[in-house]
Amino acid sequence: MTRTEVRRGWAAVRRGHRLPATPVAGSIASEAAGVSVTLGGARVLDDVSVEARAGEVLALVGPNGAGKSTLLSALTGDVAVSAGTVTLDGATLTAWSATEAAMRRAVLLQQVRLSFPFTVAEVVEMGRAPWAGTPLEDGDDEAVRSALAEADVASFAGRRFTSLSGGEQARVALARVLAQRTGVLLLDEPTAALDLRHQELVLGVARTRAAAGVAVVVVLHDLNLAAAHADRVAVLAGGRLVATGSPREVLGGALLTDVYEHDVEVIAHPRTGAPVILPRR
Amino acid sequence: MTATVSAPPSAPAGPDTGVARVSRWRRGRSGVLIAALSIALVVVTIVSAGRGQLQIPPAEVVGSILHRLDANLEWVLRQIGVTADLPLDVGPRPEHVQGENTLWLVRFPRVVLALLVGAALATAGALMQGVFGNPLAEPAIVGVSPGAAVGASLVFVTGANFLGEWTVAVAAFATGLVTTLLVYALSRSGGRTEVVTLVLTGVAVTAVAFAIVAFATFVATPEAREQIVFWQLGSLNGARWQAVVAVLPFMVVGLALAIGMARSLDLLALGERSARHLGVHVERLRLVAIAAVAMLVGSGVAFAGVIGFVGLVVPHLIRMIAGPGHRVLLPASALGGALLLVSADLVARTAIRYADLPLGMLTALVGGPLFFWLLRRTRTSQGGWA
Repeated sequence: MTRTEVRRGWAAVRRGHRLPATPVAGSIASEAAGVSVTLGGARVLDDVSVEARAGEVLALVGPNGAGKSTLLSALTGDVAVSAGTVTLDGATLTAWSATEAAMRRAVLLQQVRLSFPFTVAEVVEMGRAPWAGTPLEDGDDEAVRSALAEADVASFAGRRFTSLSGGEQARVALARVLAQRTGVLLLDEPTAALDLRHQELVLGVARTRAAAGVAVVVVLHDLNLAAAHADRVAVLAGGRLVATGSPREVLGGALLTDVYEHDVEVIAHPRTGAPVILPRR
Repeated sequence: MTATVSAPPSAPAGPDTGVARVSRWRRGRSGVLIAALSIALVVVTIVSAGRGQLQIPPAEVVGSILHRLDANLEWVLRQIGVTADLPLDVGPRPEHVQGENTLWLVRFPRVVLALLVGAALATAGALMQGVFGNPLAEPAIVGVSPGAAVGASLVFVTGANFLGEWTVAVAAFATGLVTTLLVYALSRSGGRTEVVTLVLTGVAVTAVAFAIVAFATFVATPEAREQIVFWQLGSLNGARWQAVVAVLPFMVVGLALAIGMARSLDLLALGERSARHLGVHVERLRLVAIAAVAMLVGSGVAFAGVIGFVGLVVPHLIRMIAGPGHRVLLPASALGGALLLVSADLVARTAIRYADLPLGMLTALVGGPLFFWLLRRTRTSQGGWA
């Protein structure tokens, strides 16, 4: 038994929370199996199965209203599924307490808000809340510091969140999620408000985390970002899973033309050979 | 699963980063604030106890307190078999023959009640604002005060006297609590409470409560009508130790619940969903918070009548000085509210000779313009709340 394991066991006894184990690369960290969701009488998700594997970036793409965000909400437990099951770290999502779930998955929502003018550093520190009272609390300062650096927000750590621009706020929210240091990262359009450099930076961070063994699920609108950064892509349309696989397998002109109801052409990048997706104009 | 990336050149590295500096600065400032508020509270309390128709210098007030403390501690020690002469009995005693009685039978209970009610109202305000993520939220939203007014006015009208002198306080507390629970129950659906629904339900229930109070005022005898009106203006006139003893347990439990929620309330500022993703049980938090508010405000209103603006102005001021973190905001608001109400009550008692001004009128008179100024200031410095 390693020292870490002893400390974790002790903390679990003290707080009554089951602490997560280090994820094994390639294992399923979070999974939606045959999930259907009905909202206001409409079936917005119909028998969808995806799995997030440790060490992998999974991109969810598809046209507006395809059910990408709903699928992410099902994975977070925010919406109740009408059929199918959602699992996290080997157990049904509902088997975990709110804090135990928070130790296992961090969520970045599309809309970032803050009711009171906390500073950037305080917001990022909030990401450490699930670990309060556990031995991992000792890593708080280090986790916050590296998260601030990773999201490129350290230079304004002392400023009030409410005084920042939309793009800056989005990165602070990302830093908060990174500071949580969970085995699963669920990101809902993390690049929407960002400039080109920061889009690359954010997905670069997602890749780095995946390389360190984290399972990353990211909702993306930009198919080129998905093609460049994802290990696997799941294409959703009309609440159904249309295709899933590597970007080169899935992101083909015929399939995208069909899904987006717009003529799409896919060309191989002359240097890297990666698919480049363009609407035919 | 620790991810390390090379920090961009703009990011400071090493132990002494901006983060550590900022949080240390905030902590230092918060410590100073709490200390300053505590000292101010002690000073104002002592000065206030000495002021009135019979003037007693602060030194004599302190002397009287120390004398009692000394005697009581020695008595406690004797009970456990220790005979000791504690060196606490220092300072001058009140010179006036009625000095001791004035202090211990009239002034101290009133000042202590002001202190408790002020702390409760300000803490309840901070709690409501945290729970609803809105700096304008007030305990009145969930109907505590309007509900309490219903109970009090019905007692005045019917002349009910089932609990002697306690009737008004008990009725006010009970109806305040019931109204709050009603608002909460009506606004719940499918195991969840939406903030907007809760606020609007509060508006609806409050309207009915005011209608009942209006009807009570209409049918009341001139004497009862006067009681209803004055009760709603708020006053600590005639406060006695029994009231303090009755209020104290609710205050202690309410304050303890509030401070226990501090960290979760910080997370709730991120919105309900994000708070849940960080491990906060949002529904439970909200229910406990509303229970705490009902206890704090209900017990205060029961004895002091309706006193507005304390819960709005004090947390706002504290937030400007120490930032919005609830671990400082809640205790500092309690101290600030106590300080404000002890000061306001001193003015109410002494501003006009032989007159006891309505306390609720004073807090609204000062609180209204102050709140407006705070709004303008926050707007210019932070670009509003969006």
